[in-house]
Amino acid sequence: MLPPQLSALLLLALPSAVRAVFKDEVGHIDYHYELLGVPQQETTFFHRPRRDEKASLLYTLSDVGVLGAVNPSSGAVLWRQLLNGTITEGGGFARAGKGEGWVASALGQSVHAWDAITGRNRFWTDFGGEVKDLEIMEMTENERKDVLALFDEDGSSTVLRRLNANDGSVVWEFRETSKDIPLQVSNNVGKVFVISLRGTPAAYNLKVTVLDTLTGKRLDEIVIGTKGDVHSKDDVMFVGANSAAPIVAWTDASHRQLHVNALGTKNRQDFALADGTVSVEIHAPHLVQSQPHFLVHSKTATGNRAAVYHVDLKTNAITKAYELPLLPGPGAFSTSSSGANVYFTRVTERELILFSSASHGVLTRWTLETKDSKASAVHAVSEVVKKAGTEGGFAIRSAAVTTNDDWVLIRNGALAWTRPEGMTGAVAATFAEIPENEELAKSLEQEAHSNPLAAYIHRVKRHIADLVYLPAYLNSIPTRIISSVLGTDVPSADGKLARDSFGFHKLAILATRRGMLYGLDIGNSGKIIWSERVFEIAKGSKWNVTGIQVQEDAGRIVVLGSNNDHVVLKTETGEIIDSKLPGPELAAQSAALVDTSSGARLIPVGLDGTIRDLPSNETPKQTIVTRGLGGEIKGVVFVANGTSAHGSTAWEFSLPSGQRAVSVATRPSHDVVASIGRVLGDRTVRYKYLNPNTVVVAAADDSASTLTVYLLDTVSGQILFSSKHEGVDTGKHIECALAENWLVCSFFGQYTFKDGSAQSYKGYQVVVSDLYESDEANDRGPLGDAAYSSSLGPIDTPTGVVLPSAVSQSFILGGPISALQVTQTRQGISSRQVLAYLPETHGIVGIPRMILEPRRPVGRDPTPAEAEEGLIRYTPVIEFDPKIVISHERDVLGVQNIITSPATVESTSLVLACGLDVFGTRVAPSFLFDILGGFSKGSLIGTVLAITAGVAVLGPMVRKKQINMRWKAPM
Amino acid sequence: MHLNLASLLGGGRGLGQAAALLIALAVTATASTSPQQHLQRQQTSVTLRIPASHLLPNPGVLPPSTHATLSALGAGRASAPLTAANTLVFGNVSAGSYLVDVHCATHAFAPLRVDVVSPDGGDGGLVVRAWETFRGNDWDNKGEAVPADGGIEVRVLGQKNYFMERSKFNAFSILKNPMILLGLVSMCIFIGMPYLVDNMDPEMRAEWEERQKTNPMNGIMGAATGQPGASSGVGNFDMAAFLAGTSAKKGGSDGGAAAASSAADSGKATSGKGGENNRKKR
Repeated sequence: MLPPQLSALLLLALPSAVRAVFKDEVGHIDYHYELLGVPQQETTFFHRPRRDEKASLLYTLSDVGVLGAVNPSSGAVLWRQLLNGTITEGGGFARAGKGEGWVASALGQSVHAWDAITGRNRFWTDFGGEVKDLEIMEMTENERKDVLALFDEDGSSTVLRRLNANDGSVVWEFRETSKDIPLQVSNNVGKVFVISLRGTPAAYNLKVTVLDTLTGKRLDEIVIGTKGDVHSKDDVMFVGANSAAPIVAWTDASHRQLHVNALGTKNRQDFALADGTVSVEIHAPHLVQSQPHFLVHSKTATGNRAAVYHVDLKTNAITKAYELPLLPGPGAFSTSSSGANVYFTRVTERELILFSSASHGVLTRWTLETKDSKASAVHAVSEVVKKAGTEGGFAIRSAAVTTNDDWVLIRNGALAWTRPEGMTGAVAATFAEIPENEELAKSLEQEAHSNPLAAYIHRVKRHIADLVYLPAYLNSIPTRIISSVLGTDVPSADGKLARDSFGFHKLAILATRRGMLYGLDIGNSGKIIWSERVFEIAKGSKWNVTGIQVQEDAGRIVVLGSNNDHVVLKTETGEIIDSKLPGPELAAQSAALVDTSSGARLIPVGLDGTIRDLPSNETPKQTIVTRGLGGEIKGVVFVANGTSAHGSTAWEFSLPSGQRAVSVATRPSHDVVASIGRVLGDRTVRYKYLNPNTVVVAAADDSASTLTVYLLDTVSGQILFSSKHEGVDTGKHIECALAENWLVCSFFGQYTFKDGSAQSYKGYQVVVSDLYESDEANDRGPLGDAAYSSSLGPIDTPTGVVLPSAVSQSFILGGPISALQVTQTRQGISSRQVLAYLPETHGIVGIPRMILEPRRPVGRDPTPAEAEEGLIRYTPVIEFDPKIVISHERDVLGVQNIITSPATVESTSLVLACGLDVFGTRVAPSFLFDILGGFSKGSLIGTVLAITAGVAVLGPMVRKKQINMRWKAPM
Repeated sequence: MHLNLASLLGGGRGLGQAAALLIALAVTATASTSPQQHLQRQQTSVTLRIPASHLLPNPGVLPPSTHATLSALGAGRASAPLTAANTLVFGNVSAGSYLVDVHCATHAFAPLRVDVVSPDGGDGGLVVRAWETFRGNDWDNKGEAVPADGGIEVRVLGQKNYFMERSKFNAFSILKNPMILLGLVSMCIFIGMPYLVDNMDPEMRAEWEERQKTNPMNGIMGAATGQPGASSGVGNFDMAAFLAGTSAKKGGSDGGAAAASSAADSGKATSGKGGENNRKKR
């Protein structure tokens, strides 16, 4: 039986382990960019989700694999689905049938349809092959519009399936076993065309298979000679879909001629392209009722021009109707149709111009009023509405992707909204302090170095000069007082970046795979203060950032890439100081941040785990742990050799055969430990095993379904601790984290207990291990109080190598977790939280370390001494209580990486999660003990006012009474 | 009933350096089921259904990100999004014993165990059976069987509440404070008593005053508060008389002394009351 006060303490301890977010803190302490990814041209469209309503929504399947709907008037996301559960590298298909309340999409092996308004699934069907194209059958024998999906099965057969749009069932299937490469599918009113490439890579010919819409039976097969112009599937630019007269078009390698074939015919027509054409795009309407017109957009190195062609429905003859002049910039064209009319919208650097497909006359034009003058549109989709009554009145909404990876909506020339979709696909992120004002530092330095009189005069002058800011400061006082009372944020003075006393005001630097760098002001709701295109990354490849380092003193950021590339830019403005383009070959596996005699430096690690020779002032002081070609882990130390130093392998750790490293974790760069021991309830101390040179390697064996976790000493390569878990699903997330004297590892396990109870278990779990210097309390182990020790030097104790004593415990989780990270605070006094992303519920959870405590008593209540220590009874399950979800209601999608940074105040740790969405917040694992958080200044002032009023009223009364008493008449 | 999933890992104390290469101690458990029978290529579909219940009257409000997952060792990722009909459909499920979770941002759902088995002896299609399962308990410790035909019903556990309530300013809660209550009561007595005494019947009042005089508590109270009970105190001090060089007791005017004694007699605890009393008398 517990003493009552202790059980009360225990009861208090339980809820106090979690501190949820207050509703009024939302948007104040956290920020979230709900992103979709950069829209792909072919999978972005306006669509009316309700047949009888005019309002349309903007749909896209982005290059990261998110299908979503955006409200075109506000830019708000209505719904989104991460189709494959992970971030993809582009691809996929999305289409909508006119007047239908659903959107069909396909990615990888599956075809799905979604309710256009709610985003709920209509059907999801997985097939054997890979989807190559998706089309909507606008005209079918019944009311229903169906979905055509083209598959490539193992490269040996082409399969076209017509799927019922209601439930995804197969209406008919056309299968052809051949080595032909299926390319696209297209259909008109009566026929379905499957276009594939036949032949060898040297000279492909186009094969058009004509199918019957009702049965899927082959009607005809036409082979069109390309004269060796087509070498890959990318050379065929366009297959018109659903238009009254679908076409297929390709160019020769030098872009001199455009070849067009009207599908279903045998002959092709050639059109000359202007000199200097670099690339060609074709835009055509997708509707059956639209006029069969198409636009050829040809880009040169500096500008772009276009020509509009008409197809004669009877003769299938293609004629050039008119040409649009050459304008500078890449430019973007988009097609929109209303009834039979087809409109082309041209977005240039300065203007938005609307044409009809019938004639070259400009219908309307607007000057673009975009704030960002640097970016220009790359591709766009438009919606043209002809205003009723007014002659020639048009309203255009154009959603364009810019060169800076932003998605902007231009409404009649004016910028309606901008979505920073380029922030998706973040590959590296870091926090940076806001650089201090250099001018003040400089003048102070100047004063220090001159004679006292001159310094004094300089100082007085400086102060007089500072009086300029006095009126502005006085002006700002009322707003500051009001905002301080109301608890709103004080806007930083005229948009200038300045540090705050709490240390919440920092910059977050984000590098994306598309070669963009972003600087976010996390003290100001994560506002983007600069975005910079560092490299032009070709479609299909990505910028592989190996390391990012902030040089606080110099106010610079250094980013290293894997292809021998680097970029140096200013922290405050994002201005590029120095950069080197990525080379064609992969040259580095990673980059190590090391201490050298000339400060902290990023050192690239070669693919085979070796490091090039370095000058002696750049020689790292630490051992660098690298991965060899064979998966072995190596420790590289630098040996001075005159003026340079070369890396030599100090130790090598080869994993047992069959094992592969799945997760590697090191202690965070800022891992301050406030106390070297843990005081137990009985006033004894267990000393923590605090070795800064440790690394956790989790190795999985796929065939045996085992996971082995090794803790290695990075100086000697010695295994300090290892544990093996059986029945681990090596295909699911396995992740580890290491901090202070403990490590956590999370995985999916399915096994039977070995304790003879024959009980089995299945589910996600986390194993936490605490490391101590000795098994006993009040014992510092073999090393004792020695100030220094070396893991390389001989140890004259009979026990040999100093190995930590470990205490472990496993917990079952309510779901999978990934992107493990541990909170960091300035002095390490606050308790810690393990931050993890919940990939299924799209949230970030902060599990208190108090719950993940291996010393929790099992099968009994804690003794008073244990309760005093804060230990609570062991429960095998950790359900993700919504109260510990630090991202609360927000739907944070696709987080790959969580980073933390200490604030100036000890209680708080700054958190940034990136990957697909960007989310940032502050967490206080031991509560905000050093900040008066949530203090109601209003009620304080109200109380003071009420007391003042009371005193003002009662004061005269009391005074009067006292005087009366003194002057009372004698009786 | 809770299981101890503790895996006590013996940190390899006392291991020789040579032997320390790879010693993995403390194995938690062993793999129980062999990897799913890959030979069995038969597949079926599993349908989950979210019914309307008192905790979730309208399943139509669930966000489109709601989905279910099917997990088992080596089964890969199987995820089913929520359909417009409030169902979650897994196509192509092979035989096995699966843990089914429904993930939703707004509501919590009970986990299920779904077994896909081929019927005994029969070579027909696969049969789907479902039970509730309890995390942290034996996998074979199945809950109530959930009927699988027509879609397995998933049980809603409740709505997720992510936020903490901030304690609000509440006048009533302040009034409930015992200290405030005490103060209020004494204030009532302080203000109301003189009026009560004033409004008394003269006879009754005289009687009351008489009783007050004889009340032994009065003297103690008066002494404690520095008021004159029987003995003279500071409160009895007549400043005017003192300044005039006369003593109230000795040769002062009778009225002054009478007033003083009357004040003392009425057994007032405070001078304010006395003043009130006297003023009224006047």
